[in-house]
Amino acid sequence: MAGRQLLMTFPVTESSHRLAEYRARGGYAAIEKALRSMRPEDVTKQVTDAGLQGRGGASFPTGRKWQVVVPGDGQPHYLIANADEGEPGTFKDRWILENAPHLLIEGMLLTAYALDARHCFIYIRGEFDLPYRRIAGAVDEAYAAGLLGERILGSDFSCDLIVYRGAGAYVAGEASGLISSLEGKKGYPRNRPPRLTVKGLYQRPTVVNNVESLSNVTVIVRDGIDAFRAVGTAKSPGTRLFSVSGHISRPGVYEVELGYPWRKFLDEDCGGVLDGRALKAVVPGGISSKILTGADIEHLTLSHESLWEANSTLGSGGMIVVAEGTCMVRLLEIMLRFYHHESCGQCTPCRHGTGWMHRIVARIAAGEGRPEDIERLYYVAKYNDGTTICGLGDAAGYAATGILDKFRDEFEYCIEHKRSRYQGRLE
Amino acid sequence: MRSLIPEFEALRARFPAGFASSLVLPCLRRIQEERGYVADEDVEELAAFLGVPAIQIEEVLTFYTQFRRRPVGRWHLQLCRNVSCSMRGGERLIEHLERRLGVRPGETTADGRFTLSTVECLGSCGTAPAMMVNERYVESLSAEAVDALLEELR
Amino acid sequence: MTEIVINDRTIDAQPGQTVLEAALANGIFVPTFCWHPKLSVAGNCRMCLVEVEGRGLDIACNMPVTKGMRVLTDSPEVKAHRKAMLQFITLNHPVDCGICDKAGECRLQDYHYAYNGEPSLSVEPKVRSTKYYNLSSRILLDNERCILCLRCTRFTHEVSKSMALGIEHRGDTSVIRPVADRPLGEDPYSDNIIDLCPVGALQSRQFLHKTRVWYLKPTPSVCPGCARGCTIQVWHRKAEWRVKALDPAQNNAIARVTPLENPAVNGPWICNKGRDLARLLERQRATEPMLRGAPTSLEGALERARELIGAARHPVALVSSWGSNEELEAFRRHLGAVFTSFVKCDAVAEPGERIEDQLLIRADKNPNTAAAEALFGRAEAQLPEGTDLVLVWGEGFDFARLPRGARVLFLNAYLQPENGHADVFLPITIHTERAGHFTNFQGVVSAFQPCFEPPRGAAHAEALFAALAAPARVHA
Ligand SMILES: Cc1cc2nc3c(=O)[nH]c(=O)nc-3n(C[C@H](O)[C@H](O)[C@H](O)COP(=O)(O)O)c2cc1C
Ligand code: SF4
Ligand code: SF4
Ligand code: FES
Repeated sequence: MAGRQLLMTFPVTESSHRLAEYRARGGYAAIEKALRSMRPEDVTKQVTDAGLQGRGGASFPTGRKWQVVVPGDGQPHYLIANADEGEPGTFKDRWILENAPHLLIEGMLLTAYALDARHCFIYIRGEFDLPYRRIAGAVDEAYAAGLLGERILGSDFSCDLIVYRGAGAYVAGEASGLISSLEGKKGYPRNRPPRLTVKGLYQRPTVVNNVESLSNVTVIVRDGIDAFRAVGTAKSPGTRLFSVSGHISRPGVYEVELGYPWRKFLDEDCGGVLDGRALKAVVPGGISSKILTGADIEHLTLSHESLWEANSTLGSGGMIVVAEGTCMVRLLEIMLRFYHHESCGQCTPCRHGTGWMHRIVARIAAGEGRPEDIERLYYVAKYNDGTTICGLGDAAGYAATGILDKFRDEFEYCIEHKRSRYQGRLE
Repeated sequence: MRSLIPEFEALRARFPAGFASSLVLPCLRRIQEERGYVADEDVEELAAFLGVPAIQIEEVLTFYTQFRRRPVGRWHLQLCRNVSCSMRGGERLIEHLERRLGVRPGETTADGRFTLSTVECLGSCGTAPAMMVNERYVESLSAEAVDALLEELR
Repeated sequence: MTEIVINDRTIDAQPGQTVLEAALANGIFVPTFCWHPKLSVAGNCRMCLVEVEGRGLDIACNMPVTKGMRVLTDSPEVKAHRKAMLQFITLNHPVDCGICDKAGECRLQDYHYAYNGEPSLSVEPKVRSTKYYNLSSRILLDNERCILCLRCTRFTHEVSKSMALGIEHRGDTSVIRPVADRPLGEDPYSDNIIDLCPVGALQSRQFLHKTRVWYLKPTPSVCPGCARGCTIQVWHRKAEWRVKALDPAQNNAIARVTPLENPAVNGPWICNKGRDLARLLERQRATEPMLRGAPTSLEGALERARELIGAARHPVALVSSWGSNEELEAFRRHLGAVFTSFVKCDAVAEPGERIEDQLLIRADKNPNTAAAEALFGRAEAQLPEGTDLVLVWGEGFDFARLPRGARVLFLNAYLQPENGHADVFLPITIHTERAGHFTNFQGVVSAFQPCFEPPRGAAHAEALFAALAAPARVHA
């Protein structure tokens, strides 16, 4: 086990996702405690002091986001759990939705209580089938048990929760794109200001948090700040779920205590690189986080600060392991095809830049590269960085420059020799 | 769509007041489940029912990949073509299915049994390669497993 | 007041203003495609990126001013980014200015020369799209030229409220599309999107490939289509570009009509009727004075008219609500004491025309009813038995209503059968042939200038009124 665990603390069985078993594990004690003995601002303060950072990608301090919303200011507030999980390589929220749905629901109740939000939503990506059935079933169970709806657990606190299904759009995972989608429109992200916590869903203050972030709220309120901070590092308290895929012996979802040695995690917990091949590179947290080489990660730990130092991020926790012998040109082509396919098309640089980069790299991979192509990719990435409404344009650029920074020679080889050094191998 | 109106009314009652526009996605999903796709008349009727501009519905139908304006085959096979699946044989699997079915992604077999599509990451990277067969995920695929599945669905 | 600094200049901005608004209000230009003062902020073209010291680049059109902020609109970083935005915009743009009506008044062209000026960095094939898409019977859409600024869609959602347009698909395959069951054709304001479009993606079918805009000259005018009196620009061929080889009618015709922005009346918009002024005004003209259908000289006609006026005991005048303030005043001065005068409704809505709405269109389809009624009252026209002379000025009078035995003096601009029934007929000019003012229903007075020479034979009504009161020379 990769250090101490806070979320994946029970054996998964046919019925471990059900309310009865969740309660038997001590579930819904945190909301009971909060409703009995805490004020909304106490919950916010606990989450702030616990130092919880968002698990959706940007690692934004959760408490700081919540503080913008003023409970009882006379207007409705909304809370949305982001279960869109569209970042390639990421499938960790799915684990919670399928196996610990009540952990999320309890976390949402606590958050709704803190934010004075009468209505909450879980925005789940449209493709997810089993996760949808599991979370929808859990919501029904919670309603039946009086844990959702009017006067929860006999308190004055009422809260409704709707599970809302997307319909196939990565950009609808971006918080404001999600809100557009939840308003029944195309998932166009919105310019800030205004911040979503000021004007979000139907122009009301809205908090969007990742599924895993909200699940951690349950843990923080249940166990207290000290218990939470005791796990992880000072700058990265707690754990993170990593979904590990690619060339790895035991792919899957792992809960890792932050600060855990990266290499050890891959070798011992995940069984090492597939077929005993050498480690070429790792995408740390979804393809929007910059790739690192096997050598880079040798002495890194899995914590926010360690990754920032290496000029990357833990992102969404979608870790993709790349073995020696893999063609990075093809890998980048697939990544850029993705961004090209998923750009919503609002912003000039992203609408055209994602396709431009995709076409350049596809051309290189097809043996028709030109000497100026690499420079051109940097150019497109540079002018997508910080110039767009949402992070998709930036992310496409990071994916490209991340790989080019580390594996430029492979691109140069492919351009010069009109073929991939690794015959385009991906497997 | 009309037969679904009682269901839509119930759905509307679950949402806060003023959220009619939010019903566009769930209603379209249900319409598509029933009919297999969304027809022009559905757009008109839904726009009238919800009181939203028809153009909003048209936009939604083309923005999201899961909505269809035309029927697909009995079995819709949607294979992931993203990074993790490709690293575990996804591209070979797509080629295999193209050969087996004699169609390219986006096409339907002549007998109307199968539609082949490629999709972006399904969030099944740990059990790659993966595909959707209609609503259901089928994971940890191999050429053999796909052949067996085709037999079963034929 | 919020003090901010733009390019080392201290500026007093209004609280709640954006940096873009503050800059423009102070004469500092920032290029924009998607931003429009009368539409919501879309913030998608990214052309207005500016640098804020300590905060990096962001778009000016969505940036609220904050006290003490320091903004650079022309730093090297800003310039490099502008250039890059133009590289992106032209990446898939066909750059077919040679066959584009917008050439010469296109923002993309202007900005390209101002901020980029270099050939494309791309060697990739361009994304192709629909080249001629029928948006309506009035408007053609070229999706390849579209830069997706969404001004057109926002206009139909926020201003005309027809909700006729949207964006289908996504990414670089996004296309502007009309909704099937609510065609843009029913939106009486649809043509405003042609002006709004910063590029040549939306093209007027009336104007399609008719002429190059640099051969044209706009003359400020007022739309006579309804009592709103929107100020307009009437575009016609410049004198130096009148070409013999062209059909003479083309040298002397309205090429197109666009709004003349006017905060007091119509803002930046007009309705489609205003665009179709040519249809309204370029009908066959009357150019010959007549006595009961027989051509005569202007002097002869005036002579006869003065006789009739002198002999009449109960003369009634039906005054045109299309007359200018100056003409109405001339009528009052010269003939007001002679006639019992009523204001005539010259024009009514055509079948299918929108009668009235909240935006611009007024039910009164005449431009100067307000001024006419101020002079001649609001009373319904009375033509009692015993009326022995009726002066009819302008169109819209049903000659069947003439009291038995009454003589008729008719001033009209167009060739119509009624002209021949009048005892005296005098052809007059129309408002695009003279200067003057209209007063709209709110009392706002707007000026119009002459665009064309009057046809030979047509006289200004103002001069005719003087000549009807006492012998005088009239030029026609
Ligand atoms: C293109 C794009 C896609 C995103 N997709 C997701 C997603 O699928 N799930 C998610 O939780 N956050 C996603 N995010 C991040 C969200 O915008 C937002 O930051 C996050 O949901 C906030 O939750 P957190 O603070 O709890 O991390 C995405 C961001 C971008 C720019
Ligand atoms: S950055 Fe790309 S995906 Fe994000 S809003 Fe702009 S165009 Fe859409
Ligand atoms: S058609 Fe013109 S106005 Fe409309 S989005 Fe395209 S460029 Fe903008
Ligand atoms: S004018 Fe500001 S983004 Fe278009």
